[in-house]
Amino acid sequence: MATEKVQVVVVGGGATGTGILRDLAMRGISALLVEQGDLAHGTSSRFHGLLHSGGRYAVKDQEAAKECLEENMILRRIASDCVEPTGGLFAALPEDDPAYAEKWVKACAESGIKTEELNIKELLKKYPVLSPRITKAYSTPDAAVDGFRLLWSNVNSARRYGAKMVTYHKLSAVYRANGAITGVELTNTLNGEITSVECQMVINAAGAWAGEVAAMAGLEIHMIKDKGTLLAFNHRLTNQVVNRLRPPGDADIFVPHGTITLLGTTSIAVEDPNSTKPSEIEVENMLNIGRETMPNIDNYRIIRAFAGVRPLYQANKGAGGRAVTRNFALIDHEQKDGLKGLVSIVGGKFTTYRLMAEKTVDLAAKKLGNNTPCRTAEEPLTQPVTSEMLERGKKVFGVPGYKKAAERLGDAYGKVVEKAEQDPSMRRMFCECELVSASEIDYVAKDGDSKTLSDIRRKTRMGMGTCQGIFCSYRTLGALGNNPQFTVGHREFITEFLQNRWRGIRPVLWGQQLRETQLSTGIFCSLFGMERMNDE
Amino acid sequence: MMNKKTDVLVIGAGLSGMMAAARAAQSGKKVTLLTKGMGTLSLTSGCIDLWGYEVDNPKQPCGSPFAQIQKVVEQNPSHPYAKVYDVLKESLTFFQGICDKDGLTYRDNGGENWLLPTAVGTLRPTYLAPTSMAVKDLNKVKQIVVAGFDELKDFYPEVLVTNLKKSKLLRPDCELTVAHLKSGWKKLYATSLAHRLEQPEGQREVIRQLKPLIKPGAIVLFPPALGERRDIDVAGLISKGLGCPVYEVTNLPPALPGQRLQDLFLKYLKNQGVTVILSSTVTGAQVAGNRCSHVTAEGAGKTFTISAQTYILATGSFVGGGFDSKPGQIEETIFGLPINTGDGKWASGEFLSLKGHPFNRFGIDVNDRLQPVDGQSKVILENVLVTGANLAGSEFSIEKCGNGVALASGFKAGKLAGEVSR
Ligand SMILES: Cc1cc2nc3c(=O)[nH]c(=O)nc-3n(C[C@H](O)[C@H](O)[C@H](O)COP(=O)(O)OP(=O)(O)OC[C@H]3O[C@@H](n4cnc5c(N)ncnc54)[C@H](O)[C@@H]3O)c2cc1C
Ligand SMILES: Cc1cc2nc3c(=O)[nH]c(=O)nc-3n(C[C@H](O)[C@H](O)[C@H](O)COP(=O)(O)OP(=O)(O)OC[C@H]3O[C@@H](n4cnc5c(N)ncnc54)[C@H](O)[C@@H]3O)c2cc1C
Repeated sequence: MATEKVQVVVVGGGATGTGILRDLAMRGISALLVEQGDLAHGTSSRFHGLLHSGGRYAVKDQEAAKECLEENMILRRIASDCVEPTGGLFAALPEDDPAYAEKWVKACAESGIKTEELNIKELLKKYPVLSPRITKAYSTPDAAVDGFRLLWSNVNSARRYGAKMVTYHKLSAVYRANGAITGVELTNTLNGEITSVECQMVINAAGAWAGEVAAMAGLEIHMIKDKGTLLAFNHRLTNQVVNRLRPPGDADIFVPHGTITLLGTTSIAVEDPNSTKPSEIEVENMLNIGRETMPNIDNYRIIRAFAGVRPLYQANKGAGGRAVTRNFALIDHEQKDGLKGLVSIVGGKFTTYRLMAEKTVDLAAKKLGNNTPCRTAEEPLTQPVTSEMLERGKKVFGVPGYKKAAERLGDAYGKVVEKAEQDPSMRRMFCECELVSASEIDYVAKDGDSKTLSDIRRKTRMGMGTCQGIFCSYRTLGALGNNPQFTVGHREFITEFLQNRWRGIRPVLWGQQLRETQLSTGIFCSLFGMERMNDE
Repeated sequence: MMNKKTDVLVIGAGLSGMMAAARAAQSGKKVTLLTKGMGTLSLTSGCIDLWGYEVDNPKQPCGSPFAQIQKVVEQNPSHPYAKVYDVLKESLTFFQGICDKDGLTYRDNGGENWLLPTAVGTLRPTYLAPTSMAVKDLNKVKQIVVAGFDELKDFYPEVLVTNLKKSKLLRPDCELTVAHLKSGWKKLYATSLAHRLEQPEGQREVIRQLKPLIKPGAIVLFPPALGERRDIDVAGLISKGLGCPVYEVTNLPPALPGQRLQDLFLKYLKNQGVTVILSSTVTGAQVAGNRCSHVTAEGAGKTFTISAQTYILATGSFVGGGFDSKPGQIEETIFGLPINTGDGKWASGEFLSLKGHPFNRFGIDVNDRLQPVDGQSKVILENVLVTGANLAGSEFSIEKCGNGVALASGFKAGKLAGEVSR
């Protein structure tokens, strides 16, 4: 049993945890982040990807709105390659209360959110998918954010400052002596191996699982776990985020991401933070509401449905769902429960992760006697890829693959390009939807954090596109021929790959989607007989 | 609007439609085959599956598929095989006859199924295979050389070898060898490789690179791209050059064996005087009482009607384009025939499992004359016959019976259409 020693163990590889890791590292505090799955295993990859302007909260909660706006502006600056500054619009339909619109304009102004009334005729010309029934529309500074990338950028930056991060390690016990934390036990979720880490402090950033983590220290945190479902359309329906101008409700936001659009979401209380199964009823209800804003929504193909669980903090039991504050809570368990060295950060939003991290690390640093100020709002997360490197990438990967790869790889782009320059066979594209090259797969396979074939899939985004993953799943196996750790378990990989996709496809199984699914059964079962294949 | 007249109108150029057209033409009928696209044959292995596994032990590959099909017919009268069991053997003979005449022989394995290797290293049970795929006595082979091309995207010899190695069918001392051939081309696709291998230089190059690897008792497995043309026996020529048997394995589309079969049939039909209308879609039907009087079709920018004595609906389920769906609703696109959706559940929770998926079983209920019937077994349209993947009640992907059902039902529909008097 290996024993490691750090000052702080951070639990949870979501936006909050990775933000905290970076902040700790930048202040010179030694830290290890542990995540039970792959990075972004939790809610931070199962969300809408909206970098809120604050508009959605302006009427009800100006404090939250201001926080969103401020963080939105900071992230545009420090993480420009993770944010697409699409801008947003809020549109009202005849059935929406006009008094709300008035209140909203006023509240936005008070919160500092710039809005501008739009000419409806021009708007409809620009976006014919929008309902001609729209009565009023305003622009806002909303944006789209790539959660997965932002998390990796945080981790990469933290590592440059000496921090450590392990995936597939679950916090399984907390050691305490004399009313203080002394260390933690970790279980490797791939092979069951147990290790322990000595530390002075544990920061619980486990999102919807925060209650479970607190329970390991014998304490209680009451979380409301609120499932939300999203639909991915195979189309960029508008270039801006579209919100409904009425009190926040289900299925009233469309967010464009690259070539797709996400419509969401719902709000259903669940017991288990792992409940991420979208239901057919949710899909139906969302389409009914979405149709009000975009009447011809049924003409666009839905490529998948997926769900995440909001970690809502309930200080006083009772109120549920959307009414609970989106503001976060920082819990000092030394004060609250008399346990020294445990801090929990719960609730909040993706948009405000950095601020949550700053407040958490302010408290942690004070306890550790460190008074270095926070610098995460000033220092960029990544160095943008140089135009010289982009040109070289274009030569080996062609247009438009070179750009997508640069967006995914960030700092690592140079290495991937170099490899392809040296070895022409590394230039082949293995996933045609997402334009992933052999070189990129090879790089990711060797990066040390990729433990399973599915990790490679997530990092490269292979099979996340509009095809059924038929070709790219098989090609991934082929491409890894010279990475021996991945040459076993082909059945398991393909089964898991397809099952993951299937979870998203099944609730939207009609039209083109059903046709292609029948084709997939033909390929994987008729041609390859994978339903009966053995791995042993 | 132009109106065409014919005795038998076959809608769809998949295996079932082409079999129907071939059999109806043999009865001396005037046959028209109209199709939107080329059907699923070119997506398949090119082999004819009849039934793959034991009914009572679905993990165990069966020997004779006929024994299993007999059980299916007894236990499950709504399975498509129950409607066409009477013509099953006759239809296979008819099919083999057509292929033989063209020189593309389809072999059976002495009444038993073949177990043929795939690109992922599994062994798939099938009943009829073209000579280029029919690997004989795999259990006696001493060396299997898997030949891949570095420039070819969708064939990975290592994947095949990794998994085939685990097969208990192979001799324990069977040696598996990966051969990375170089074509010297920048990129290779199945068809460009096939064209290259039709050329003597292409064959020589492959033989030169492979020869040093071949040991006594070896066979060589290739991706399914050994030529597109049927008049050049690429597998045979390479085999001669190497002095050992050479085969194509099953792989993802595009694969040439199914394509060859499709080409063969279209040529045969034209030779038999069948009028083949490509790239045209039947968009609707005129029905009077329980008969169809004509259908409307669109193609090459024109709309026209066709009237016939018999209409054969060979439009191929969802993949073929015969069925369409919306949330909670499935329709047959030409006649609006009812689709049997069982207990209303569309799909299984597990994507890959022995249960398969209900949507693959969805289809049109028919009587044993292949006429569509309603829930009370009443014939809906007496001069419309339904074939292939459109038939309700079979899970082609799990049962391994897709082309078998298509072949037998197409044959029967063609035969019945041939018996209708003018
Ligand atoms: C449907 C939906 C849409 C949303 N849309 C938006 C939006 O558009 N904009 C926005 O700003 N916010 C949005 N949110 C909210 C936002 O996604 C979340 O607030 C945020 O992602 C939470 O991040 P986190 O790091 O706190 O939690 P998570 O991302 O869930 O991270 C917690 C991590 O802890 C890990 N973990 C748990 N227990 C253990 C353990 N014992 N050991 C090791 N690791 C453990 C988990 O695996 C998980 O990865 C949305 C939420 C939902 C559900
Ligand atoms: C990927 C895959 C692999 C398979 N592999 C095998 C295998 O290896 N062995 C095996 O035995 N089975 C296999 N099967 C199953 C088998 O291919 C099918 O069950 C069988 O071929 C169906 O034939 P069909 O003639 O009924 O339909 P299809 O081949 O689908 O033909 C339908 C035809 O109808 C046409 N059409 C549709 N609508 C219209 C319209 N409105 N107007 C005009 N034309 C129209 C289409 O263009 C097409 O030509 C596989 C299936 C798939 C999907």
